[in-house]
Amino acid sequence: MNVTLFVTCLVDLFHVNVGKATVELLERLGCTIHFPEAQTCCGQPAYNSGYVKEAKEAMKHMIRTFEHAEYIVTPSGSCATMFKEYPHIFKGDGEWEERAKRVADKTYELTQFIVDVLQVEDVGARLKGKATYHTSCHMTRLLGVKDAPLALLQHVKDLEVVPLPNAHNCCGFGGTFSVKMGPISEQMVDEKIQCIEQVEADYLIGADCGCLMNIGGRIERKGKPIRVMHIAEVLNSR
Amino acid sequence: MEAFLQRLSSRLGRDMPAFVERPQWKHAPQQTVFQGYSQDELLDELKKQCTRIHTTLVETTTDGLYHTIEQVIDAHGGGPIVVANDERYEQVGLSSFLKREDVHVWDVSLGRANIEAAEKANIGITFSDMTLAESGTVVLLNDRNQGRTISFLPKTYVAIIPKSTIVPRMTQAARIIREQKHVPSCINFITGPSNSADIEMNLVVGVHGPMKATYIVITDC
Amino acid sequence: MAMKINTGQFHERVEKGIHNTFMRGAVAGAQERLRTRRLEAAAELGNWEQWRALGEEIRQHTLENLDYYLMQLSENVKKRGGHVFFAQTAEEANEYICRVVESKQAKKIVKSKSMVTEEIHMNAALEKLGCEVIETDLGEYILQVDDHDPPSHIVAPALHKNKEQIRDVFKEKLAYTKTEKPEELALHARHMLRHEYMTADVGITGCNFAVAETGSITLVTNEGNADLVTALPKTQITVMGMERIVPTFEEMEVLVSLLTRSAVGQKLTSYITVLTGPRDEGEVDGPEEFHLVIVDNGRSDILGTEFQPVLQCIRCAACVNVCPIYRHIGGHSYGSIYSGPIGAVLSPLLGGYDDYKELPYASTLCAACTEACPVKIPLHELLLKHRQTIVEREGKAPISEKLAMKAFGLGAASSMLYKLGSKIAPTAVNPFTVNDRISKGPGPLKAWTDIREFPAPEKERFRDWFKQRGEE
Repeated sequence: MNVTLFVTCLVDLFHVNVGKATVELLERLGCTIHFPEAQTCCGQPAYNSGYVKEAKEAMKHMIRTFEHAEYIVTPSGSCATMFKEYPHIFKGDGEWEERAKRVADKTYELTQFIVDVLQVEDVGARLKGKATYHTSCHMTRLLGVKDAPLALLQHVKDLEVVPLPNAHNCCGFGGTFSVKMGPISEQMVDEKIQCIEQVEADYLIGADCGCLMNIGGRIERKGKPIRVMHIAEVLNSR
Repeated sequence: MEAFLQRLSSRLGRDMPAFVERPQWKHAPQQTVFQGYSQDELLDELKKQCTRIHTTLVETTTDGLYHTIEQVIDAHGGGPIVVANDERYEQVGLSSFLKREDVHVWDVSLGRANIEAAEKANIGITFSDMTLAESGTVVLLNDRNQGRTISFLPKTYVAIIPKSTIVPRMTQAARIIREQKHVPSCINFITGPSNSADIEMNLVVGVHGPMKATYIVITDC
Repeated sequence: MAMKINTGQFHERVEKGIHNTFMRGAVAGAQERLRTRRLEAAAELGNWEQWRALGEEIRQHTLENLDYYLMQLSENVKKRGGHVFFAQTAEEANEYICRVVESKQAKKIVKSKSMVTEEIHMNAALEKLGCEVIETDLGEYILQVDDHDPPSHIVAPALHKNKEQIRDVFKEKLAYTKTEKPEELALHARHMLRHEYMTADVGITGCNFAVAETGSITLVTNEGNADLVTALPKTQITVMGMERIVPTFEEMEVLVSLLTRSAVGQKLTSYITVLTGPRDEGEVDGPEEFHLVIVDNGRSDILGTEFQPVLQCIRCAACVNVCPIYRHIGGHSYGSIYSGPIGAVLSPLLGGYDDYKELPYASTLCAACTEACPVKIPLHELLLKHRQTIVEREGKAPISEKLAMKAFGLGAASSMLYKLGSKIAPTAVNPFTVNDRISKGPGPLKAWTDIREFPAPEKERFRDWFKQRGEE
């Protein structure tokens, strides 16, 4: 199966290991990975700040880059959601609406792709310890991917997955929100960390590097003994 | 008024329509609640719901009604009692109950004295015109013979519910009311006693209206 | 109380909210309870999404024909002997209400909970006439007794107060002598208010839903205070925001069901009262005179715009009860009587961007609000539209942000620029990097690193790894 990887800018620049794990995992599951070098960012930072014109430039570029793919897979619920929003954003914009729809229709978040398209729940991973899973907002509420990551994690050997209390509450990332509304963001991420500590998890697992950068950055600042992992890294653990 | 409405029409980008037909709504989930239930099944649902709304439900028959009412009154500390001027009392054999000394029957000729009687009353009693099984609600179509305050001012409220008045939910009541020529000036949908959670989300039962509510279901009526 | 409730800067208000430990505990507890109850009430029905879709459709249809339905409502109220006044502005509404009150030589007014009367600052106008205006909703009453403390939640206005605070206020102002037990506090309020109902000249209510076909108004409470407010005084004035209307009883009942389940998780609240005109001939209780005041006050400016869906709102506060921002800053931080997500969308529309420009940014766009809304208002999308308006039409965004976004637009739209920028990134932040981490970032990074560590850009980008791997 031909998979065109949209790795996301955060992974490209800051979390290279997540990208590597995604590639290795998908290859092990029999996929051939393509990586269009022209890819940049989905446009979300500008779009969510109200800069629609600037965002649309980025989006058009991404549509051009990905429209010929067979499957577009990305290790981010939030960036996948952005791709899915393209047709809505380009509504009434002539050919772009159609092209946006083509891209959106074949876009999958990584775990969604593995469970729904590849029809695999046990990827043969092994990780020892106790983990809890952070349901990121865009992935859960807007993309509607709720069960796939949990189904995959349940099959990871030696891993005990416990529910995160108040999982529905946002971690306080929200892109530019995390810097524009620092004091509020801080309260939110602190409550999230308290919940993680409450279940005494060794690992916090998530499927979005934005949230993980926020929670992880705060965990590091506070010197808490919790390891933050992207689900691709967990599923690629042996 | 004209300028006000004209502004709306212009904001909506058209002239005001001469007539608007209500569309056939795409969904009708309200119709499916307890669809096809018998009166017995509806009564069961009503009973279940009453346990959740701090309301005592007692069942009786027309023959036993007098006795049941007296029991309920005694359990709540007796009179004074205020009731509507309602011919249904006679139909269910309660004429002599209305003659009790501590019972005030609503009487338009007495004017505001009725309200004062209600304010002093320990117990207010009305019939339920329609009863909603889903929510445990009694519907009162008030009129000159049944003051609004009977169900609000006394400390305890008692509803007499002929089993035949039970319908699945507010949907049926709304339809029946729509079919009436004259909509009553005050329709109450009452679900249990008055309550509030305004202080630290603690439920306090009995704030402005009744502190207790009892439903008496007449099973053969 | 006008819509605006606070004069300080947004960030100062937030700071104050964050440090109010009791309030935050109360809000978090209330959110959890109300959220659970709402989810249970929705699950019980088994087809909640259909209910939401129906609610949305009814609200949209009504708004699209708002002029027609208001006309119908007004005609039917008049047929039943009521008076109708259309108020374009808050001033017009208050003037009319004051005129009615003066003509009755009324001194004492009892009132049930109404957001729109808060919005138009009605109590102050009536007090200027020398009237005593008494709030009867327990929460509103507590706030009023406490020197008009503003509401912090559209359904539970006194959510931010604890029982000890309420006890102290009652002791100081109402000669209360008992404990902080909610039952005792409520009982005291009952005694105080009973007397007021019996002796009031005018009763004023809000309106949950007006019914166009019959000229009726629907009032939803648990306390039963609206019933006493409308049953005892001789004159009733009902004030409604112009969008709070449905075609017939059949739509009213659907929306009432959505409202009570979403607001408090109840199938129906204890008292739902539908009033049509003044008392009928021969009736002893109920008002002799009924006035309906229909208020625009900025709502028509929303109609016909991309923000129109906000007028679908039925004021259930489900969005407030799931909002993670509201959870930490509380209602007063919003500076408006309308707080939480609905407030963040509505307040700038009714009150302008000058006072409320920060509110659309007080959201992570987590969409919990949109998911909870029983009439499917796309709240987080409307917040985004506000941001877009602020940037594009209002020009109120900071210059530095504009430049950064311009650069983003260029960079992300060009693979050349992106590659170049990303390649030099590690070098650019090199002076700030310790152990692959940035703890004290420059410029825009500072706001991030004030709170958390920031990862230094990796020396080998993913794309470099992938390319090299292909070549091996």
